[in-house]
Amino acid sequence: MTGIGFDTIKRVTADLYDRSLRFIPADSKVALRKADGIETNETARHTLQTMIRSAEAAEQSWRFVCSDSGVPVYVIKVGTQARFSGNVRQAIVEGFADLVASIQPPLLPHVTNPLTLERGHSGRHMPIVTFDMVDDCDFIDITCSPKALGSGRWSAMEIFSFPDLPTIEAYVLDVVRKAGSQPCPPVVVGVGIGGTFDYACKLAKEATLRPIGQSHPEAIVEAMEERLLAAVNRTGFGPMGTGGDSTATAVHVDYAAGHGFTPVAVTFNCWINRRTRARLFNDGRVEIIE
Amino acid sequence: MAITTHRLTFPLTAESARSLRAGDMVIMSGEIVVTAGLPTHHRLIGCLNGVEPMPMDLNGASVFHLGSYSEEKDGTLQLHYINPTTSTRFNALMPTLISGFNWHAVGGKGGLDRPCVEALRQVGGVYLSFLGGGAALHTQAIRRVIEVGWSDMLMHYRLVRLQVEDMGPVTVAIDAHGVSLYDIDAAT
Repeated sequence: MTGIGFDTIKRVTADLYDRSLRFIPADSKVALRKADGIETNETARHTLQTMIRSAEAAEQSWRFVCSDSGVPVYVIKVGTQARFSGNVRQAIVEGFADLVASIQPPLLPHVTNPLTLERGHSGRHMPIVTFDMVDDCDFIDITCSPKALGSGRWSAMEIFSFPDLPTIEAYVLDVVRKAGSQPCPPVVVGVGIGGTFDYACKLAKEATLRPIGQSHPEAIVEAMEERLLAAVNRTGFGPMGTGGDSTATAVHVDYAAGHGFTPVAVTFNCWINRRTRARLFNDGRVEIIE
Repeated sequence: MAITTHRLTFPLTAESARSLRAGDMVIMSGEIVVTAGLPTHHRLIGCLNGVEPMPMDLNGASVFHLGSYSEEKDGTLQLHYINPTTSTRFNALMPTLISGFNWHAVGGKGGLDRPCVEALRQVGGVYLSFLGGGAALHTQAIRRVIEVGWSDMLMHYRLVRLQVEDMGPVTVAIDAHGVSLYDIDAAT
């Protein structure tokens, strides 16, 4: 066996990004339909129905759901038994470059140098990739979650000292209120609590990737998710911020033990909740999960 | 209360704008101008101040915060897709532009702040909320690219005048009477 090849990684990561732009995940569709069923505001129901129609139109015509294709972001879990036959990061960079050159319709130049504000399709550390090790697996698990301006702009983090739960939850709601109508609600809210500065943000990001409807396994966190979702949906922003009960389809919380300083990170996915995922095995198999 | 859906011709007149109420829906046909660029807005302020000539006539236009990707093929411009961007980014500049150019319809997604609501009330203008992530639907309504201004800028920053047919429905999120659906009592 030669292991997971350069060309496979290059092709699959490019394809994950391409596909993520053209449909919405199954759980997003279910969540929007559910919201439409319980929404009390007529304009909001109309907007939710248009969202579903828009997603279906994009999928049927295989066009983009949104013009802001974001920047490519990959979350990669590397099995300890996985073997590689080429460079991984370079494969992802080349895959994205090839995609930019060939994708139809073309991508707008969203990759921005934060120091010069020059925009294009490539840049330092782009695509953004994080790697984690997972024990006892002979595959790598790649999630593509492109981040665009609309929802990316409103993430926030603050560090507290021995906060109680009401303090943490009040902060989450503050961030939600600041985001308001702007991240294309109904959003998925990801919350990361504890650990360190960097780790809390990572937990928040990964919390947004959890399928909607799947609760945290710990009761204390699950209860917090339920309280926060109800509170977020009482803010009244509603779909696209023009009023209603459906401001979030989910609030996903995760935490890590830390010291007495407790970072609380909050991030958003827009209603589309773009996400595609695949597993690449040592024996050459590619499993498209979504 | 039932939603009223209006079929209207664009650019919207002050009279048509004043006939709308926040929460109404609008199906749009006619001519609109789109841009998603903050630098474009700064440049337009420059035009009002005599820094450079206007790239196209925008007086009384319906101007929306929509990003678009178009390409020239066989001598004509073809539009690949169009979709709204967040309007709040332009809050600081919009009152001057709305008043300076008599815009009776502006829009995008996410809304505008109170000074913009007041500027719209004064000129007789509305803010229309487009579905974010509505590219497949919005793009179907584009009939042709009429003209492009400031081609020296990035694609989605340019001013693009489009002919549209049955675009929407979009939501009247701020009406010409000072009512904004974005004014939400966010007490929880």
